[in-house]
Amino acid sequence: MRGRLLPGLVLLAVPLLVTVVGPLVAPAFSGRGVAFGSTGVFGGDFVGRDVLGQVLRGGASVVGVAVLATLVTYAVAVPLALLAATTARRAVDEAVMRPLDVVVAMPSMLLVLLLVPIVPGSALVVAAVVALINLPDVVRIVRATALAVAAGTTVEALRMQGEGRVRVGAYVLRSVRRVVLTDVGTRFTGALYLVASAAFLGVGLSADDPNWAVMVDANRDGLFVNPAATVVPALLIIALSVGANLTSDRLLGGAR
Amino acid sequence: MTAVLARSRRRVLPLPGSLGAYAVRRLGLGVAQILVVAVVVFLLTDRLSGDAAVVIAGDDPDPAVIAALRTELGLDRPVWERLGAWLGGALTGDLGTSLITGRAVTAVIADGLPVTLLLAALTLVVLVPLSLALGMLAARREGGTADRVVTATTIGLYSLPEFALGVVLVTVFAVQLGWLPPTGIGVAEPAVFVLPIVVLLARPVCSLSRLVRAGLVDALAADHVAHARRLGFSPRAVLWRHALPGAVTPAVQQLARTTDWLIGGVVVVEAVFVLPGLGTALVDTITARDVPVVAGLALVLATGTVLLNLGADLLARVLTPVAS
Repeated sequence: MRGRLLPGLVLLAVPLLVTVVGPLVAPAFSGRGVAFGSTGVFGGDFVGRDVLGQVLRGGASVVGVAVLATLVTYAVAVPLALLAATTARRAVDEAVMRPLDVVVAMPSMLLVLLLVPIVPGSALVVAAVVALINLPDVVRIVRATALAVAAGTTVEALRMQGEGRVRVGAYVLRSVRRVVLTDVGTRFTGALYLVASAAFLGVGLSADDPNWAVMVDANRDGLFVNPAATVVPALLIIALSVGANLTSDRLLGGAR
Repeated sequence: MTAVLARSRRRVLPLPGSLGAYAVRRLGLGVAQILVVAVVVFLLTDRLSGDAAVVIAGDDPDPAVIAALRTELGLDRPVWERLGAWLGGALTGDLGTSLITGRAVTAVIADGLPVTLLLAALTLVVLVPLSLALGMLAARREGGTADRVVTATTIGLYSLPEFALGVVLVTVFAVQLGWLPPTGIGVAEPAVFVLPIVVLLARPVCSLSRLVRAGLVDALAADHVAHARRLGFSPRAVLWRHALPGAVTPAVQQLARTTDWLIGGVVVVEAVFVLPGLGTALVDTITARDVPVVAGLALVLATGTVLLNLGADLLARVLTPVAS
């Protein structure tokens, strides 16, 4: 069952466009007024900065960190999963998979709250922690798919031809590509969820950083005076999440 | 090959009627899991930059004062010694006292627990029937209007950050329409919980109802269901007695994963709606580097995870004795 592509794509395009083009035009909206005042299109924020300007600057640290976290997840998970799936030694498989069970047993929000503040103010640490939390799921999915391929006749034939580990590994990698692609949308929104929630709870970033999630938290006190300061960044995050889910489902769902 | 092995092993090990034995074994594993989580959390909180002495000293960061505070709080002792003392106390029900306020950790937990338990329980009470209803609605006619609407909605809203949904709902229903209170501050009526529960439901409902739908679509096309139809059972009996029990197993297992989301969601939702629960206490005490309280709260959250996981697994076993 396939729906239309356009609505999801539009939802995804708006926050992405703001993220990419926003910082270029933001300097034009750097006016300062009173806190939650009515200067500018969306009024002022909790210290009187132009909300539009902050919105235009605030995408990179949400979208960028979520993309980075997703990339790190796959960069670590795929080699680990292939190693676990193609190894002849059971001990190697166990050594890869069992530590991941420990990560799964930890409530993920607790991990975010405890690990991110270890090095404050670093987007890299946020990305690394989020990647760690997403790691077990991706390793399991890729390993399960790779196991089926690795036990198949093609790999057996490759081995009998005397092909090395690299050739066999490359074949298995190509075979799991489709599963990885289908999974990308879910992983990205999962990473976005954690990155944004962490920023909202105030871990990893300071209240002055231009960041949509931080803006939602910092401007909440003025919800009755200037709701736009809170709602506009919140809607951008919602559009990003919903748009990414719908688009990846429509574009890549057919691969299932 | 491994998949086949794992499956046959699963079928052999639990003897018929050994649900109790299984529960006991899982409970033992769960206790170990809780201990590991508590120890990891204790050590991690200890590793955070700055400590409670720095936090208490606050505006007066005199090194001598901080050193004196550290001695007074026992923070100059090695971490293993403090961990051992804390674990020893935990086994006898004494979780220590807060480094900041000096209150017993058990008292802090007792303060926050009712709010958090109420939130989680109300969410679960609505979650299960709602997911079933949405899944069944979508599966009744695959590809129909209801299916398309439910599927697109549940795919789109999947892993939507609770705080973003929360503030938008507050703006509409509390600020603009004035129907519901915006936060829990100074309000003691049930209406306080309406928006938090709606927000908490969004994420798990999406994944559960999709699993119910997928399971039911398969089950309705299965041979045993077709056979039940041919035998002349009513459509309702076929749906409820023959198709549904087997179809919801993946959803029930997912219910266990939901616990993790529920914990994360509760932390965020309590922050959004300013509710004095365990999540609020957790965020506050992590900021204050209040190690014993954080570890105690983690203990409670881990216990909740283990118990809900166990409940979901037992339920899955009751529904499909063979598969588990």
